Amino acid sequence: MNVVVIGLSHHSSPVELRERFAFAEANIPGALRSLRESGVAAEAVILSTCNRVEIYAATALDPAKAFAALKEFLTGWGESTGESEISSLSPQRGEEAVFSNSKPLAPTLSPLGRGDAVKLSGAELYTLTEPQSLEHLFKVACGLDSMVLGETEILGQLKQAYTLAHQQGHTGARLNKAFQRAFHVAKHVRTHTDIQRGSISVASVAVELAEKIFSSLKGCDVLVLGAGDTSEKTARALLSRGAHSIVVASRSLERAQILAKEFGGRAVPFDQWTAEFVKIDIAISSTSAPHHILDRARLEPLMQARHQRPLLLIDIAVPRDVDPEVNFLENVYLYNIDDLQAVADDYLKQRKKEIARCEQIIAEKIKPLLEPKNLQPRMNTDETNGACAATSPSPP
Amino acid sequence: MAWFTDRHFFLLAVLVYGLSTVYSVFLWRKGFRQDDHVNYLLLLAAFVLHTVAMVRRGFSIAHCPVNNLFEATMFIAWSAVAAYLVIGLLPRLRFLGAFASPVLFAIGVFALMPELDPPHGPKPEFTGALTSLHAATILLAYGAFGLGAAAAGMFLTEQHDLKFHKLRAVLSLLPPIQRLEIVTGRLVLAGFILFTIGLEAGRYLPRSTAAGYWSDPKVIWSIFMWVVYLALLASRRLPAQSSRRFAYGIVAAFVFLLLTFWGTNLLSPLHHP
Repeated sequence: MNVVVIGLSHHSSPVELRERFAFAEANIPGALRSLRESGVAAEAVILSTCNRVEIYAATALDPAKAFAALKEFLTGWGESTGESEISSLSPQRGEEAVFSNSKPLAPTLSPLGRGDAVKLSGAELYTLTEPQSLEHLFKVACGLDSMVLGETEILGQLKQAYTLAHQQGHTGARLNKAFQRAFHVAKHVRTHTDIQRGSISVASVAVELAEKIFSSLKGCDVLVLGAGDTSEKTARALLSRGAHSIVVASRSLERAQILAKEFGGRAVPFDQWTAEFVKIDIAISSTSAPHHILDRARLEPLMQARHQRPLLLIDIAVPRDVDPEVNFLENVYLYNIDDLQAVADDYLKQRKKEIARCEQIIAEKIKPLLEPKNLQPRMNTDETNGACAATSPSPP
Repeated sequence: MAWFTDRHFFLLAVLVYGLSTVYSVFLWRKGFRQDDHVNYLLLLAAFVLHTVAMVRRGFSIAHCPVNNLFEATMFIAWSAVAAYLVIGLLPRLRFLGAFASPVLFAIGVFALMPELDPPHGPKPEFTGALTSLHAATILLAYGAFGLGAAAAGMFLTEQHDLKFHKLRAVLSLLPPIQRLEIVTGRLVLAGFILFTIGLEAGRYLPRSTAAGYWSDPKVIWSIFMWVVYLALLASRRLPAQSSRRFAYGIVAAFVFLLLTFWGTNLLSPLHHP
C-alpha cells in the first residue's frame, strides 16, 4: 500500500483556482466515501484550506493509475458545486474537466463559477509518491510548506482533516501511522528549532516591540489615529495581548465609533486626539494626512504632561504622520512601517535558516515509516494513541 | 591539600568569572537571541567556589571575613553574585549575568592583589557583632549597588537599541526596559537601606578617643555616597527625570564608589587604627 498525495497549493496555483477545488467541510465525508467506493484509495484524508487542497491516499493501485483517477476525481469535484449531492459523485464525473499541457494557466484566471470547466496545464496539480508524499505531509504539518513559513495554524487544520476522516472510518494503518507521526514530528520541530520564532507580520512585530518597552501590556492604553486596516490589526493584536483600553480617533467619527465599539473602546473626535496623549502609552497612526500631524514641538509639552512616561509611536501611514524628529525626545520610541517591516523580514530570514534543520529532523523521523514492516497493513498498531483500534478502514 | 587556601578557591572563582565574561561577549555578539543557562551555571559555579573561599577564611579567623580590603572586596562581589542568582531565576533577567560578570571579574582580579590581603595578627582587628553587622550590611549594600549598576547598564543598552531601531532590540530576549528600570530602582533602594543600617551601626562602634568620627575620610566619603544615592532615588520622583539619566547616574555612582572605596579606606584612621 503506497501513500500518495495529489493536490494544489499556493505554490502551484492562484487563489482563483484553489477556491474552485476547495471542499466545504460538510462535504468532505461524502467525498471521502465516494473516493473509497471508486476503488482508487483504500484510505484517504482530504485537507482543504485557503492555501491548499490535498488528497492523501493509501492505495494499492499503480501510482500512475492512481494519480490519473485522483486527478479525475479532484477536477470532477472542482467543477461540481459544493452543495451537490456527494453520494452520487464518482470519478467519472470528472470527465468534463479539461487538462491541457500545451496551454498554461494564466495567472489572471478569470473568476469562474464552480460549475465552469476547469482548465489545467498540469503544473498546478502536484503528485507525490513515497517517500516524497510522506515528506510532504511532514513538511505541511511543520508549516514548512505554508505561505507564512513556520505558522502553526496548518497543524490544527491537518489534525482536523485527519480526525474527520478517521471518525468516518476512512483511515487505516498506513495513514494513521503517517499522520500521527507527522503530528509528533511537528511538535518536535516546534520545540527543537526556531522555525516558529518571532513575528513576521507588521502587527505582531508592533506588539513585540511594545512588550520590549512596557513591563506588561495589561495596563497600557492605546490610541488609534485613523482607521486603516493595519492599524486595526495592530490594535487588535495589542488587545489580544492584554492592552487595557483602545481609543479611536478618525476624521470620520462614525467610522471611529464603529471601530471603537468593535474593540470595546471609545471614539473621540479627530481634533481632540492630543488630549488623549496624556493618558495613553501606545499610539498607532495611519491617517491619510499629507503632512506630519505630530511633530517635536507639539509632542514636547505633551511628554511633560505625561511625566515622561514611555510612549511608543507606531506610524504606519504613508506619507508618515509623525515627524522623525520626535524620536530624539526622551522616552519616545517611534517606529514607522519600514522599521517594523525590517524586523519582520529579519525574523523570516531566521526562519528560512531553520529550514535545513527541520528537513534533517524530518528525514530522520520518516525512516521508521518507510521500513518494510510498516508498509504492510496490520491488524493492530500501538502508535496512534488509540486513534486506530482497527488498522483497516471500516467499509464505507 | 593544606596548601590549597581560601585564596586559591577565590582565584578559581575569579577564573570562572573570567570564563563567564568571555562567554558574555559571545552572548552579546549573538544579540541575546536565545534563552541561555550556561552563563547562569558558570556564575553559580563561581559562587560556590567564592562561598567556599569566604567560609574557609571566616573559619580561619573565627570571624566574619571583612577585616581587610581583600576580604571586603570579596564580600562585595559575593553579595552581588548572590543577588544575581536570585534575580536570574526569572528567565529574562538571567541575561543580567552577562552585564554583571565583567564587573565581578574586574573586582575579583583587583581583590587578588597581595597587598590587599596582609596577614592577620593573632586576632582580627575588628570583632564583635556590631562590627560584623556594620561591615556586612555596608558590603552587601555595595553588592546591591553593583548589581543595580549592571541592570542600569543593561537598561541603557536596550534603550539605545530601541531608540535607534537596532534589530536586536526586538530580536533579543532581554526584559522590557520598564522592568529593568524597576529592577534597577529596587536594587538601589535595597542597597541604600542596607547602607543606612551599616552607617548607623558604624556610629556606635567602639573607637579610640583620638580618632574623630566626623572628620574621618571614610565617614565623610560614606556620607557623600549616601547623599548621592539618596539624591538619585529622590530624583526618580521628579516629573522631568528621565529613566536614562537615572540609569547613567546609577552607573556613574557605582564607578565612583569602586574607584574611591579602597583609597578612602586606606586614608581612614578608624579603619586603620
